[in-house]
Amino acid sequence: MHDNLALRWVMRLSIALVTVLLPQFALGTEDLAKQQAARQITQPLNNAPMWREVRKGENPYQTTQVRGVETNILIQTEGQIWREIRNGPVTIYGGWLLVLVVVALGIFYWWRGRIMLKQPPTGRLVQRFTPWERLVHWGTAISFVVLAITGLTTLFGKYVLLPVFGYTLFSWLATLSKTLHNFVGPLFAVCAIIMFFTFVRDNIWQRGDLQWILSAGGLFTGRHVPSWRFNIAEKFWFWLGVTFLGVAVSATGFILDFSNFGQGRLLMQLSNVVHAVGALLFIALAFGHIYLGTIGMEGAYESMRNGHVDEAWVKEHHEYWYNEVASQSRTAGGVPSTAPASAMKEGWKT
Amino acid sequence: MARMKFLADAERCIECNGCVTACKQEHEIPWGVNRRRVVTLNDGMPGEKSISVACMHCSDAPCMAVCPVDVFYKTSEGIVLHDKDLCIGCGYCFYACPFGAPQFPQDGAFGLRGKMDKCTFCAGGPEPDFSAAEFKKYGRNRIAEGKLPACAERCATKALLGGDGDVIADIYRRRVTTRGRGSEVWGWGTAYGKPEKQPAAPPPGGKS
Repeated sequence: MHDNLALRWVMRLSIALVTVLLPQFALGTEDLAKQQAARQITQPLNNAPMWREVRKGENPYQTTQVRGVETNILIQTEGQIWREIRNGPVTIYGGWLLVLVVVALGIFYWWRGRIMLKQPPTGRLVQRFTPWERLVHWGTAISFVVLAITGLTTLFGKYVLLPVFGYTLFSWLATLSKTLHNFVGPLFAVCAIIMFFTFVRDNIWQRGDLQWILSAGGLFTGRHVPSWRFNIAEKFWFWLGVTFLGVAVSATGFILDFSNFGQGRLLMQLSNVVHAVGALLFIALAFGHIYLGTIGMEGAYESMRNGHVDEAWVKEHHEYWYNEVASQSRTAGGVPSTAPASAMKEGWKT
Repeated sequence: MARMKFLADAERCIECNGCVTACKQEHEIPWGVNRRRVVTLNDGMPGEKSISVACMHCSDAPCMAVCPVDVFYKTSEGIVLHDKDLCIGCGYCFYACPFGAPQFPQDGAFGLRGKMDKCTFCAGGPEPDFSAAEFKKYGRNRIAEGKLPACAERCATKALLGGDGDVIADIYRRRVTTRGRGSEVWGWGTAYGKPEKQPAAPPPGGKS
């Protein structure tokens, strides 16, 4: 019975598809033009073939004297589809996704609290990020936050900010947002590329990563799970966030930012949808990253702020890496922690 | 209240571009901006047809729906107008418009397009009627003068009709009856096929 029903639906769908697609393949533009020429003789004033062509918009003999992008196209129907996707699922589900992530993080914080160190700090510092790595990180991070805020203003401002600020002030804000977004965007793309090459070495799959996945890093149990310099959650953020979404958002961003190269509307519409969906996912992931990097975990922010972390922190969160660093400095004949006095002063506060 | 519409009769258009010129001259439009254009189908072939196209002042206007700063508004006569003071030049209306009506004065590097410009059905903008500011931003307000759009008024063959939708539809119907065939009204399905979006009540106190 169920099989029958499913089969019937598959058949119905294929019939519908064939009915829609077949004429498209069968009738090329040239054919339609010839048809119209023939129709002109047999049935003068019957322009049906010509009207079919207008919708297709591919006729090389469709001309205009006005210069510009796609000025010879009379009707483009893709705009309506873009509108429905952008104003529909992208805005609605994207907006709720961000709200949901914030609420989930709030619940997690309420339940788990700030993840504190179990051992008292040793006072010995280990360098976790070099000044260059911090420069690259903060360049990317600050440009990302600017782009996220200005991008969200463009997508949701009409529904959230406009009723509060009124037309004049919101228009001023939106102009600022758009200009910032369009000029900071290329900077972010450059930073993200440098970031990839800076951190890729420590983000490849390493022995012991599987164990970390299986125990979810002890995030929910509080159990100790050893990891290398970056755990799998950080690697996931690096590959899906910075690399994959970074490339997707940057590439589509360039297409949208430089319309002076005369790209068509279909490409811009597709880019806009990819850009918006990618950016919303990117922001959702960034919420998690920022949460753990600031209020979610003791010592995480200081590691990127000052570059140094306490030995106890490294042992608890990145044990494999700690062993690696410790053995390296032992073979080099020094103590594992060689932090400058300034970092000692403001770095690790308990 | 009359619902203003444009109607392009492909059987009559002779591709003289008189409407384009009339529009440019009436509103003193700068170079590179074309509120109206004439498109020729099957150019140089038997059965060649031309159509004049500009903003069609849609019932359910896509530009209005996608604008991130809500600059568009609709008059009680169904004319879609916009406020250039609020426009941020993002280009979304151009992506959404089926007719390619929105125009931008700049080339768009780093998204700098300038403020959007489009056909106003010769109805100006939000500034006071006949003010210098209105003319500078939107062109002449012929509707307030009791006249119809310049392009349609000056069309030599009356291929382009602009005015009360019922009246111009009647004129077209008479033409179709006389010709015997050819009843397609180009673009009307796209522009006016959807249910009319009622003009929003003006925000209390106007611009804030």
